[in-house]
Amino acid sequence: MNRREFLQCAAIMVSGLTASQLGIALTEEQRVYLASAPNYNTTDVDYLSEEQRQILAAMCEVIIPKSDSPGAIDAGVPHFIELMAADWFSDEERGIFDAGMADIEQRIPQEYGNRFDLLPPSDQLEILEALEEDASDHPWYEFGNVQRDFISDAPFICQLKELTIWGFFTSERGSKEALRYNPMPMTFDGNIPLGPNDSSWAGGF
Amino acid sequence: MANIIDTTNYDFDAIVVGSGISGGWAAKELTEKGLNVLVLDRGKPLEHSVDYTGEHAPDWKFPFQGKKPRELYKEEYPIQSRVSHSFNEANRHFWNNDKDNPYVNDPDKPFMWARADVVGGRSLLWGRQTYRFSEQDFKANATDGHGIPWPVEYDDIAPWYSYVEKFIGVNGRNEGLPQLPDGEFQKPMPWYALEETIGERLKKKMPNVTLTNGRAAILTEDLPGRSACHYCGPCPRGCSTGSYFSSQSSTLPAAKATGRMTVVANALVDRLEHDPETGKISAVHVIDTQTRERRSYSARVFFLCASTVATTQVLMNSTSAVFPNGLANSNGVLGKYMMDHPLGTMNLGVFLDDMDSYYSGRRPTGLYIPRFRNVGEQDQDADFLRGYGYQTFVARLDWSARFNSKGFGSKLKNDLRKPGQWLWALAYFSECLPSESNQMKLSNKVDRFGIPQVAFDFTWGKNELAIRADAEKQADSIMKAAGAVLSLPASEGMSMPGEGIHEMGTARMGDDPNQAVLNKYNQAHDVANLFVTDGSFMTSSSCVNPSLTYMAFTARAVDYAVKQLAEGHI
Repeated sequence: MNRREFLQCAAIMVSGLTASQLGIALTEEQRVYLASAPNYNTTDVDYLSEEQRQILAAMCEVIIPKSDSPGAIDAGVPHFIELMAADWFSDEERGIFDAGMADIEQRIPQEYGNRFDLLPPSDQLEILEALEEDASDHPWYEFGNVQRDFISDAPFICQLKELTIWGFFTSERGSKEALRYNPMPMTFDGNIPLGPNDSSWAGGF
Repeated sequence: MANIIDTTNYDFDAIVVGSGISGGWAAKELTEKGLNVLVLDRGKPLEHSVDYTGEHAPDWKFPFQGKKPRELYKEEYPIQSRVSHSFNEANRHFWNNDKDNPYVNDPDKPFMWARADVVGGRSLLWGRQTYRFSEQDFKANATDGHGIPWPVEYDDIAPWYSYVEKFIGVNGRNEGLPQLPDGEFQKPMPWYALEETIGERLKKKMPNVTLTNGRAAILTEDLPGRSACHYCGPCPRGCSTGSYFSSQSSTLPAAKATGRMTVVANALVDRLEHDPETGKISAVHVIDTQTRERRSYSARVFFLCASTVATTQVLMNSTSAVFPNGLANSNGVLGKYMMDHPLGTMNLGVFLDDMDSYYSGRRPTGLYIPRFRNVGEQDQDADFLRGYGYQTFVARLDWSARFNSKGFGSKLKNDLRKPGQWLWALAYFSECLPSESNQMKLSNKVDRFGIPQVAFDFTWGKNELAIRADAEKQADSIMKAAGAVLSLPASEGMSMPGEGIHEMGTARMGDDPNQAVLNKYNQAHDVANLFVTDGSFMTSSSCVNPSLTYMAFTARAVDYAVKQLAEGHI
């Protein structure tokens, strides 16, 4: 069992939810020599408007902000999510995502007087916390519920959080600067000191 | 040897069908003994190292940064993608496409048939756990009357175990246990601090339980042409340093070095041709999976090593006037007495020990708890026959187990980037009794080449259910003795038959030709020049992983076959 499966399996054993199985096929271009393949996040995509891109970027950055290590924008997470929305979502998932984006685009200026990305951080946080509060009973939040591909009916905020966190910790900068990355350790030592601020290893496959 | 075997009238001295764990060994041993050998594999050609296209790829090079391409898996790999420990985009090209290569899967009695589709077969994808059967394992059928007695004792096979272990490279620790014989091991891999802690507690509180290194065919010391493990972690992507044993890294190169091996990929074996005049196999008929061209090859001796199900499918499809029910099946047992190991994660323990201890490098194997029930004598409190062992794993939770957390911002990010609790998991692997009713057959449906599709009729018996119940109870005791602060119980139910990927026993060996397809040298009772050395020959299953046993019997069978050839008996 690989490490990611194991860790997720560890969590699923107490929840018992099953995986959803929707999505799209790989293109020929994606079946290339992976280790020498381009960074997935460099792929072109034209799914969102420029305005939506600004809003999405701001929302991602609220979830994973820049601190002493890179944030979601530094790691290319907004572009990753646009790619996933265009190429990976099922129709149902894409419908929830589109409606969620439209809601933020239209409702926030009415309620707060400005576009999401132009609001002060406290307002941005308040908006996302309200979305999370409304969604908090959804099974997406259940303990251990991580051993599945995706939950197709998960609310917009859950889509956003899942893809932001996934996109960040599997990105090059997230892996190397927020986590620790070493694909060729050469030795195994099962007992080295862990400092209070030390992070996990990246690369779960 | 060349002067002993007259090859004038044959294309090759020997033909090996399959290039995986056992086929690779047959090819190595036959060529090293001087025979010209043809190796056939239905899978695509694969070049060691060059075609390990996912090796060492970081997350961000993967399509969707590693989120599964769900629709593709559902449509084309619904069975193979269930092998969650090793199937992913890094190695999907090693695997069988289910849509193109169907079998009949009864939804009421599902059977999971995991298949590779490349030269090297499942030796590229296996879990690399490498254990010897014990004396008790070889005597089990004779003792309790299930199945037929093994025609081989531990002492017959022990030298062959040693021979194989030294070549493939197995790391492990000798423990002096009769139920898990020691072997020829390279130095063991180090333990996590938590494993040391658990080991000390178990010694005191459950002295009948031994915690030892998982014995794995992964190098900790260099061998010729292969390097010690570099601890990158995901072995089933292929290993260009040959650190883990596969036929691609080890046996096929050895065979190739003799200059006497020919490998033909994309060669699907349709059937073997039996010559009623000589009583022997005269040729193998193949279909090129790319061009659909049909060809045949002749040889003096044939080794079927295509994997249990595929080998038995070939035999069943090779009917003739002499063998209307399938080749070498005059007694009608072909396809019956099928086995697989039930398995499952029994218990997960959360630990608060060693929180300030971490690790460096990814150790590609866990620790092992050998069978401790019904060892020697039947335990008074055991309502089942035979036994089980636990493969154990340590992990420290990271962000991927917690991405559904509530909250936002720096606190969320900081929580997710730090290691969480230590976990220790116990996964049981249980023996499966040989039962006549568990079997595979040919169906009326045919595949794209017109070959009848395989169908399965397989269910777990009472003994397998009783073992699982005991494994669950004992796992809870072990977890408590180990000091888990929280012990999470098993997922419910039995594994799906086939999910152990240890299918075996459909052409079992035995001394009695009325009850066994093969004799004690893996030679068909009915056909002198036919040998079967993949899992088909297994007469009982033990509870340990079987690949080492396939390799040892293969080497022994080749030794016998070549002597028989030299003496003119074949």
